Parts: sequence; C-alpha cells; structure tokens
Amino acid sequence: MRQPGAYSKLLSGGVSGKTGPHSLPLARIKKIMKKSSEDVKMISGEAPIVFSKACELFVEELTKRAWLITLQGKRRTMQKDDVASAVITTDIFDFLVNLVVEDRNNSTAAVAANKLG
Amino acid sequence: MSDEHEKMLPIANVGRMMKKILPPSAKISREAKERMQQCASEFICFVTGEASDRCHKENRKTVNGDDICWALRSLGFDNYSEAMLRYLQNFRGFERENANQSNNCKAYKGEEKDEESNI
Repeated sequence: MRQPGAYSKLLSGGVSGKTGPHSLPLARIKKIMKKSSEDVKMISGEAPIVFSKACELFVEELTKRAWLITLQGKRRTMQKDDVASAVITTDIFDFLVNLVVEDRNNSTAAVAANKLG
Repeated sequence: MSDEHEKMLPIANVGRMMKKILPPSAKISREAKERMQQCASEFICFVTGEASDRCHKENRKTVNGDDICWALRSLGFDNYSEAMLRYLQNFRGFERENANQSNNCKAYKGEEKDEESNI
C-alpha cells in the first residue's frame, strides 16, 4: 500500500505555496498599495511580502501600547479609544492621528446630537 | 460596504495578530479590532506613498522591497527597517536557492532531450 511521502506534506502544508507562511493575504496588501497613490504602477513580488512582516510588527507595537492603556484603566477588554490614545501618545504614529480623532469627533458629535434631539 | 473592506486588511488576520501578543485572558472589542484594521491599512498606504515618491524621483517604475525598507527608515520606523532588511535578505537567499534548484532540474532534463535527439 502506498504511503504519503514527506514531499506531499510540503505540498499540502504550503511552505512556499500560494498562501505561504505569511500572516496577511499578499493580494490584498498589493491592492491597498495600489490604492495609496496613482503613481504606484508596478510592485515587485517581494514588496507585499515585506509589508506582511512590517504590518505584523506595526500591529504588535500598537496593540502593546493600547493594552498598557487598557490596564491603566483597570480593564481587561481593549476598547477602540485605547488604540486611539496609543496613537496620540506615540510620535511615529502621528500620521494616524487624523484617522482616530476624526472617528472620535464623529462619535462625540453623534452623542451630542442625540442629546439635543 | 464590501468595497470598503476590500481596501483594508482582513479583520480576522488583524485580530489574530493582536491576540498573539496579548495575555490569554485579554479581550479585544470588535471596535478596537476595526480601528486596528484601519490603522494597519493606513500604515501600508503611508509607507507605500513614501516609497513610491522615491521611485518616481529616481525614474523607476517598480516599487521593490528595498524601497519599502528605505521608506520605513525615512518615516521613523528604524527598528522595523532593520528587521525588514534582514527578512528581505533571507527571503532573497531562499528564492535564489529555489531558482538554482529548478535550473539544475531543467538542465538535467535538457541533457536528456539532447541525448534522445542525437539518437
């Protein structure tokens, strides 16, 4: 009787398959890169792979910082404002300030509107 | 609605990355994951824009891994940049090995074909 070989495990495990070991879908990363600017015409195969790893580092760092704020508030559930505060208190995340503050302003405005109405 | 999600990283993947770094008892609200999803997607846009500007100035059409590493450093993500350069070197070494192996296979098959045609 035929037994599956080590090679077939490699094929099904996907060490270098289409999905690969990356934590994010490369096609989606490429889509986001193209959307970022009209100047972006061609993207090398390795660029989304680099981003897959860089995004992991980014998410890890922002998550750690947000979690510290969650703990300071004596809570065990991370809320979106913890992420916002982590962004605001970290210099290199300045590019995200408008993104998180705008959201905050919108939700504050909505609460205010409800009170008036 | 689906268009918006197409422009961002999948929330499931983002959520998994967040959970990995936190203690097992930690909980993450859906809104916090959504916010992280938006931030991570914006991170890609921000860094790509910088990398693309560099390519444009140097009259190159293709944004490559080195451009991403350079952009990370330029925008203040020095520690990411160093880690990515190492990652890229490893990846390129791996790709070179793969290419050599497949070239060797093709060359071997080529030799076999030549022998057949000689007969």
